[in-house]
Amino acid sequence: MTRIARRPLTPWLLIVPSFALALFVIGYPLYNIVFQSVHEVSRFGLIRGFCGLDNFRKVFADPIFMASLWRTLWWTLGVVGGTVLVAVPVALILNQDFYGRGVARVIVMLPWSVSLTMTAIVWRWAFNDEYGMVNVTLQRMGLIAAPVHWLATSTLAFPVEILVGILVSVPFTVTIFLGGLSSVPVDIYEAARIDGASGWQQFRKLTLPLLRPFINMAIVLNVIYVFNSFPIIWVMTQGGPSNGTHILVTYLYEQGFRLGKPGEAAAVSLVMLVMLFAITALYLRIQPREGGEA
Amino acid sequence: MKVCLTQRLTKVAVALTAVGLAGFLAPAAQADTVRVTVAYYSDQTEPYFKQMAAAFEKANPGDAIQIEMVNWDTLQQKLQTDIAGGSNADLAIIGTRWLLDFVKDDMAEPLDGYMNPAFKNRFIGAFLAPGQISGKTYGLPIAASARALYYNKTTLTKAGFPEGPKTWDDVVAASRKIKAAGGYGFGLQGKEIETDIYWYYSLWTNGGDVVGKNGKSAFASPAGIKAATLYKSMIDQGLTQPGVTNYSREDVQNLFKQGRVSMVISAPFLAKQIKKEAPTLKYGIAPVPMGTSRATYAVTDSMVMFKNSKVKATAWKFLDYLFTKGPRVAFTSNEGFLPTTKEEAAAPQFADADTKAFVNLLPSARFAPTVTGWEDTAKAVSDAMQSVYLGKAKPADALKAASLIADKALGQ
Repeated sequence: MTRIARRPLTPWLLIVPSFALALFVIGYPLYNIVFQSVHEVSRFGLIRGFCGLDNFRKVFADPIFMASLWRTLWWTLGVVGGTVLVAVPVALILNQDFYGRGVARVIVMLPWSVSLTMTAIVWRWAFNDEYGMVNVTLQRMGLIAAPVHWLATSTLAFPVEILVGILVSVPFTVTIFLGGLSSVPVDIYEAARIDGASGWQQFRKLTLPLLRPFINMAIVLNVIYVFNSFPIIWVMTQGGPSNGTHILVTYLYEQGFRLGKPGEAAAVSLVMLVMLFAITALYLRIQPREGGEA
Repeated sequence: MKVCLTQRLTKVAVALTAVGLAGFLAPAAQADTVRVTVAYYSDQTEPYFKQMAAAFEKANPGDAIQIEMVNWDTLQQKLQTDIAGGSNADLAIIGTRWLLDFVKDDMAEPLDGYMNPAFKNRFIGAFLAPGQISGKTYGLPIAASARALYYNKTTLTKAGFPEGPKTWDDVVAASRKIKAAGGYGFGLQGKEIETDIYWYYSLWTNGGDVVGKNGKSAFASPAGIKAATLYKSMIDQGLTQPGVTNYSREDVQNLFKQGRVSMVISAPFLAKQIKKEAPTLKYGIAPVPMGTSRATYAVTDSMVMFKNSKVKATAWKFLDYLFTKGPRVAFTSNEGFLPTTKEEAAAPQFADADTKAFVNLLPSARFAPTVTGWEDTAKAVSDAMQSVYLGKAKPADALKAASLIADKALGQ
């Protein structure tokens, strides 16, 4: 121990290999994307020539891109906000000791074990007009008279996709919250009860503040996942009808692999990277610093 | 127990290493290895190409054929990554509409030097033409299909059209009767790939065109407005399935198989699917309904040779083999495509009424033109049609807007 402390170079040398690997793994694709974004690239990935910021200009001049950009913010806000709102009570319930808790936990976690694409395909079928489970159930229950065309218009399809997004994000978020709740000492609740605090007060004054760092982590991680989440929207509507459900990542895919414009797709991905950085930094900044967390 | 397991694991590891090494060394001993990227058409595709490779290797000792199978959806992505990384195969199946980009980037080998007149003469001319760009042949038609109207014989007979509708007016009249009897008449595709094509059927048969002779978009025309208005009015009268923008090509075909829509325009493979999945369904195949003229859509996929291939001679030998009668008949009948060579067309496998119905339509078939910007045009038109179907835009306005977008991309 003391030898290492005397020679401060050693720790650096020890992390160099992994640092170099990380730099290569992150740096090389990033370099490639930046390179592509300032070049004219053919459909099959050949560089045709330098074009400066043309790709960015073209992308920003596209009204579909601007609409997708705003929709991405709504998508992220909707899914992450909804997920946290659902996950907090679910985690609180699953943290209680009750008969069958293990089974309940498994059921909540199950959607996590299915791949996102599969979940999306299942929901695409479930929302089918003619034979989808959702319409059939609603009709049998007498809630609707005729089949609702869920995915035929973007006004219905996009909220449906947000709901599916929430469903698949809940398990991960609940896991984080359960971990957080298990670190909350039980005796403070006892003390609070003796002092006459109501259940709501206990939640507001004890649980929520102590859960705060975990909520923050869940929000930041979910923002990153959801912002970049591709399968749900692509599988269910491919950004349609009439481009009404495109978010940036589906727009990017369409540019790159459907319309054969890898250069513009690279530009979009850089814009997304900058946005993610900005959102995350902004969020961490507006969070009040935790006092006495040490 | 533990020792035993470790020992066994070691044995397995040694065996695996030996197998791996053998696999690694074996191809090196061969003279030429030709890598072929093929698209997944059905579960028949891979066994077929494996069989062809084995037969070829047997006839040409020393040479090896390596088949790489990719899904259609990811084919473009795979080619893109392979080409950018310089690790592309020697031969590949591509959508013929991509050929222009291949030629522009100087990646495709012109095949005219390898072809003698006899080889060229094997093909049905209409199918070879799309693979030719400025007088040179770059792609050979490995797969071809055309479109026709499938109709439900039971419901259409009741509606008074036992031979299927001849014109769009017939389609409307028949759909009205079918609607009154509680079904959906005309299946209209409104989302995902080929939403544009589904509208072109109506555009072409009403005398319109997608791209004009000047290379600019031509669909925002009176014929275009007529075609779009026809579909929209059918939606409004409830003559199609409701919520058309929620129906992809497969979704509409499924409704047809279930007997819920009575007419759908599709390719030969639907007949194969019906025989397998809905054997009791009585269907007929008729030409795409007429407006003022007759038209259908035809499409080919091409086999190309890469310019950077180091084994061109062997690759060509394999191509030559694939386009002889036996392999062609097997491929085309397996997959439910149309014959692209003359010998193949004469084979008894294609003498059935279904194939004949499609082949008869070929004289009036339109191919996707080999122009840049076709994909952008397809997207602009699909978006425009969706907003028309949803009632968000009037046909004339939607088409005008789409034509502006298409003109920016066409010929660029």
